[in-house]
Amino acid sequence: MNPHEEQNLERLVHQTLRTLPPRRAPRSLEQRVLAAIEQRAALPWWRKGFAYWPAAPRIAFLAVAVAVVAGFFRLLTGVEAGALFAGLLPQLAWADTVASLAHATQDFVRVVVGGIPPLWLYGGLTVVASLYAALFGLGATAYRLLYANR
Amino acid sequence: MNDEPPVPTTDAGVSPVADFTTFMRNYQDMVFSTAARLTGNDAQAEDISQEVFLKAYENYSHLSTSPTAGGWLKTVATNLSLNHLSRYRNRWRFFSEFKRDDAGDDREAPEVEFAAPDTFFSGVDASERRELLERALDQLPEHQRVPLVLYHFEDLPYDEIARRLGVSLAKVKTDILRARAALARILVRSGTGHEQIQP
Repeated sequence: MNPHEEQNLERLVHQTLRTLPPRRAPRSLEQRVLAAIEQRAALPWWRKGFAYWPAAPRIAFLAVAVAVVAGFFRLLTGVEAGALFAGLLPQLAWADTVASLAHATQDFVRVVVGGIPPLWLYGGLTVVASLYAALFGLGATAYRLLYANR
Repeated sequence: MNDEPPVPTTDAGVSPVADFTTFMRNYQDMVFSTAARLTGNDAQAEDISQEVFLKAYENYSHLSTSPTAGGWLKTVATNLSLNHLSRYRNRWRFFSEFKRDDAGDDREAPEVEFAAPDTFFSGVDASERRELLERALDQLPEHQRVPLVLYHFEDLPYDEIARRLGVSLAKVKTDILRARAALARILVRSGTGHEQIQP
């Protein structure tokens, strides 16, 4: 096709398509949208986006977020967790308990993992990865044989 | 890219809308058309249209008085449709076919020689013409239909289409050229055109 014919074809297709009116939307669309809007409106505030939260929870959330970030920063800079919790929340005795429990859990995991020979550990991870890959492959093969070629 | 405005307009812009339902009624055909022509699937187009209007509802305070609300809706419908096509392609490519859709079978396709007639339609009423055209568009493969729709309906230039679809500029031009030829061939075969295509 030479450039002149290409231009003619482009012009003709363009003219033809531009005469095409919009397609009529299904009648169900309006009802679906209104139902979805109602459903969203009925959701509790904590299941909506942050922008839709009431002012008090938003402020509280921001305060907690700042406290958490500050706490991690202090932990990273060498302040001990116990001292941090004691300084920040002197009235809350359960904070010390939570910190102790976290330490105990961390020590337990470290001891258990440390007791497993590295060969077993890496071997186990390899077996899990292989099983995952095999399952994925079986799924793909089954789909292509049973569904895609139908 | 219709010359006809999608909604009734006044000299000052879009007619005032009383509420969101009226707003939706004014634009739902345009939004649905955009999604349906890009996806080639009415059910998916309805899902996308719903998503577009839910986003519009979130921004309704601004859109209700905006003279560019139609453009905003069309842009969102186009973006969501392209996202949907891209996501769907990526999800099923592994399971169905390993070759890329945009590789297509164009290399094997013969070049089409086509002498454009003055019109594709003669003695065909408007509703039949519309049906023939919509059916012809649906018959195009996705890698031809999508750039064709973006070019002729959405007024996007070639380079923008290439960027949005993540393919080369040359491929976009080739796909659109072949899409035009394929569309013309379908319309001529449907018995509405004046001339025949010589493959």
